[in-house]
Amino acid sequence: MVKLEFFDPSGTLEVTQAHAPRLSSLAGSKIGFVSNEQWQAFRTLPLLKEMFEADYPGIRMLPIDTFPQGNANIGSEEVARLVRESGVDAVIIGNAA
Amino acid sequence: MKNAVSGLGLAPDAAMITFPIDLFVPGSDLAPLKARKNEFYDGLTQWKSDYAGSEGAAPMLSVEGATYEDALAKANHLYITNLWGDGLPVWPATRERVDWILRGTPLARAHRIGKFPPRGGVTTVETCAIALAMAGGRPEYLPVLIAAVDAFLDPESNAEQLQAASGSAFPVVIVNGPIAKQIRLNSGFGCLGPDPQQPAGASIGRALRLIQQNVGGALPGIGAMANYGGLRYTNVVFAEDEASLPDGWLPHATRRHGFARDTNSVSLAFANGGTNIRRRGAKKETPEEDATQGMYRMADFMRVPNMPGLIGYEKGTPGILMIPGVVANAMAALGWTQQSICEFLWEHSKIPQSNLKRAGATAWIEIDASAVTRASLALDPWPITAKPENFVLIVAGGGHPTNSWWLQGYSPRVLGRLIQVPETFEELLTEADRDLGCGSDYCRV
Repeated sequence: MVKLEFFDPSGTLEVTQAHAPRLSSLAGSKIGFVSNEQWQAFRTLPLLKEMFEADYPGIRMLPIDTFPQGNANIGSEEVARLVRESGVDAVIIGNAA
Repeated sequence: MKNAVSGLGLAPDAAMITFPIDLFVPGSDLAPLKARKNEFYDGLTQWKSDYAGSEGAAPMLSVEGATYEDALAKANHLYITNLWGDGLPVWPATRERVDWILRGTPLARAHRIGKFPPRGGVTTVETCAIALAMAGGRPEYLPVLIAAVDAFLDPESNAEQLQAASGSAFPVVIVNGPIAKQIRLNSGFGCLGPDPQQPAGASIGRALRLIQQNVGGALPGIGAMANYGGLRYTNVVFAEDEASLPDGWLPHATRRHGFARDTNSVSLAFANGGTNIRRRGAKKETPEEDATQGMYRMADFMRVPNMPGLIGYEKGTPGILMIPGVVANAMAALGWTQQSICEFLWEHSKIPQSNLKRAGATAWIEIDASAVTRASLALDPWPITAKPENFVLIVAGGGHPTNSWWLQGYSPRVLGRLIQVPETFEELLTEADRDLGCGSDYCRV
C-alpha cells in the first residue's frame, strides 16, 4: 500500500469572544433592529416587529429606523455604540442575501 | 453568515434564520416569515453554539492506495469531499512538497500574515505554501503569493465584502520588477491565460483562490454569493511589460505606489469583468487617427453604469486598462503620456445624467458611503471615477497593435506590496531552469 499524508488546507480559527448570552424571556424585553435596508427589509422587518408585539405583550420593539441603516453604516463602531447606549436587550440584524 | 461571525472572532455558527432567496425579491410572499416566527423567538432565547473548536497547527490527513496513482486519486477525492478543491486535479500538499516550497521565502513558516475574511482562517506563510503546493506551484512563486495575500488582507481592501458579495469580484495581481521574468510570469502574448512557457501566473492565482475558498470561506453559494464567479479558477496574475515601456513612462508600481524602478512588487486590485477591445483602425488611418479612434473606442467600453465599482470611486479604480507595448510606443511617439491617456479616458467615459436616471443608477450613488461619490451626482455628464489618476494603465499584452483589454474595477483601493525573496533565490531559479528548461527569451517558441 502507498500512503500519502498531506496538510489540511483550511487554516485554523481563533475564537476570541463568546456569543451574547440568550434572554431568559422575551416578555418585557427591549429589542432593536439593525437593518441594511436591502432585500425587502422595509417589508420583512416591520412584519417581524408586528409579530413580536402581537405574541409578547409588553415587549418593547424599537422602531426599525432607530439606528443608522444601510450597508455603509451597520458595521460601524458608531452604530455599535448607539446600540449599546440604547439599552436594548437584543438586536435582530437583517437582511443578508 | 457562519463565515461572517467566525471572522469576527466568534464561534463559526450563529443564531440565524435562513430562507430561500424568494423571500428577498420585490413583491415576495411573506408567508414563510410568518410560518417560522418561533425560530426568531428561539434564536433570542434558546440558541446555543455547537462549535467544538479547531485551534492549533494545521492537521495532517492521510489516504492509502494500492498504487501511487490510486492514493493520488483518493487524495483528490478527499479534497473534493471536504470542499477544498476547485474541480481540477490538485497536488496533495505533502510535508515534503510544502517544505520545498517554503524555500522560496525568508519568512518563518509560522509567520502570521493575518486572518482571511470573511471566515477568519488564520493565514500563515505555511498556509500559503500549502495552497501553492496544491496549485502546482514552485518555491520561486511563493514570494509573489505572500505579497499578494498580504495586500489582500489589508483592511482597506474591503476583502471581507468582496469575498462574499454577489458581484463576482476577483483579485488582479500586477507584478513589477525583475522577479516577473525570473519566475516566468507572463507579460506578453496570452498573459491572462494558460502558458506552458510562462506558467507562474496560473499557479499563483490558483493558490490565492484556494486560500480565498479554503481559509477565507468563499465557497460558491455558501460563503461566496457571486452569481457567476468568472475568472476565479486562477484569478488574474500577470506582469507589466516593463521592457516595452516608452521612454519617460514609469512602471505602474512606481507611478502609483512610489516604489523605485526595478523593485519587485505586486499591485492588487479587484475587478468584476474583463473584455477585449479592438482598438486598431480598419482602413487608411493616419497614426494620429488610429490612436485617437482607439482611445475613443476604449472610453466607450468604460462608459457604463458599473454600480459595484462605486466602492472605488473616490480612492480606488474604475478599472485596469492593458495596452500592448507596441501601442504604448506608437502613442508616446505622438506625444501621449500615461497622464494624458488617463485624462482622455476620464473625460470621454463620462455618462449623461439622463442615462444614469433612466437606469436607476442614481439611487446607488445616493446611498454610497463616500461623500465624494454622493456629491458626484451633481456632475453632468457624470465621471465614472473621481479623478483621472484612478485609472490603472498597464503596458502588457502581446506585441500586436490590434487589441487592448479592460478589467472593469470593483476595488476600493489599489494596494501595493514589496516582494521579499530569500538569499538563496538564485539557486531556486537555477533549479527552475533545470526542471522547466532555460526560460530565457531565446528558448521560447
